[in-house]
Amino acid sequence: MSKKNDAQQMSATYKKPSTFQHYKILLGKDLRREFRTREMLTSMGIYTVLVLVIFGIALMQAPEKVDILQMAGGLFWAIIVFTSLLGLNRSFSYEKEDGALEGILLVPLDRSVIFLSKLTANLLFLLIVEIIAVPLFYIFFLSGLPMHPTLPWALLPLLVGTIGIAGVGTLLATITINTRGKDVLLALLFVPLIVPLLYACVSATTLAITGSPTLMDAYVPALALAIGYDVIMILVSWVLYDFVVSA
Amino acid sequence: MSNKTSKLDALALPFLIIGGVLIIFAFVFNFTVTPMALGDIEVPEPAMIGGKIVTTTLLLSQKIFFYHMPVAVISMVALAFTAAYGIMFLRTRNTKYDIRAQTATEMSLVFVSMTMVSGVAWTRHDWGAWWVWEPRLITYLILMLMVIAYFILRTAVSDPERRATYSSVFGIIVAVNAPISFMITRLVPSTHPVVFRSDSGLPPLMLIPLLLTILGFSLIAFALFRQRVRARQMEEQVESLKLRLDDLRG
Repeated sequence: MSKKNDAQQMSATYKKPSTFQHYKILLGKDLRREFRTREMLTSMGIYTVLVLVIFGIALMQAPEKVDILQMAGGLFWAIIVFTSLLGLNRSFSYEKEDGALEGILLVPLDRSVIFLSKLTANLLFLLIVEIIAVPLFYIFFLSGLPMHPTLPWALLPLLVGTIGIAGVGTLLATITINTRGKDVLLALLFVPLIVPLLYACVSATTLAITGSPTLMDAYVPALALAIGYDVIMILVSWVLYDFVVSA
Repeated sequence: MSNKTSKLDALALPFLIIGGVLIIFAFVFNFTVTPMALGDIEVPEPAMIGGKIVTTTLLLSQKIFFYHMPVAVISMVALAFTAAYGIMFLRTRNTKYDIRAQTATEMSLVFVSMTMVSGVAWTRHDWGAWWVWEPRLITYLILMLMVIAYFILRTAVSDPERRATYSSVFGIIVAVNAPISFMITRLVPSTHPVVFRSDSGLPPLMLIPLLLTILGFSLIAFALFRQRVRARQMEEQVESLKLRLDDLRG
């Protein structure tokens, strides 16, 4: 009798893939698609360079004595926000083609897994673009200037901010795929929501770049608040995602 | 679908009148009985702008505070209602909650706009600039942008069910985001230190018009909310009646 039960359980567990397997498959699908077409990465990478060029031209007439170190953090975050908007728009647009999203929804899986896998995919793509953007930004704007030893600390708010952008952005991108004028609408919804995170991250990044003596006093609370934003907003998005994706 | 006016709707008109009377009374009281605040003690609070303390003089512009603060409070309360009705809609899928959530957001937009207008007028007068990138102003600017985005989102979705779901979700997110942005913009250290306000120190002669104005605006907001919801429900009824009429005609 117990053997029979065991056999049933085994066959049952064997047939039903775990949530983590769902997650891996969905994430793998996004990554495979991206590395075959390189649609998002190319367009985001080139867009980053274009925004850098625009900033370069915009700042060309600025007098020499303007302290670029004070502005660098803010400028860099402007690039991240614009580039992530581009990527987030693309991340769901191909799911609309040929009813791909409907196909995923037909699978009996926990809907929040879709959120997590999309979040991870968007996060990875953004991080890859940032790996290109950070050195380029350094070469274009900061090379030749004396750097403070605290500069590597600027990477931490970058990571925290990117996680938050990917989290909130994934939810909003799912909302906007079914709307008219989705590209503009994503920007309208996304930018105001991201402002608190931007505020904290720009503050932390600028502190790290300028290397002010009171660095840790102000850097730690700014970073902690950014992490708090991430945790709260991603949890809320996660809870609400089920409603959005099934609507 | 009920044709009869509910008890809350019957209260709308009297509330509107009482609210108006209260605000007018508070207005007169404010300019006749209430003393001027002594600069750096109470309102308007001194703030560090560009390294120097601004506003310690007896300016009449401080009276703006008595309208600015109530409308700001009510805009936040209205936003909380948006989120609450959004949650109710997501749980029940009942359209009446979507109508209420939308109307609450409209109230929020009205009061956020009033907050912005009164705030910017005060800023211009006391700080000498129309706009300063200062935590309170940033918070309210992005709050206003989020509320506007809510309505743009609504017009961009054609399917009613989907529109209701999306706007409920977005309303909840905005309501969560608003306190976070309050916290972050105040707690992140910046070059413009913010003086935290302590309202507990208001003398009674200032507290009376302030509380009356809050009460008055709350009554008006409630009355407008009920009237708007009722109008929306009537619109829906008319639409469904039209559809039925078309069906009957064949």
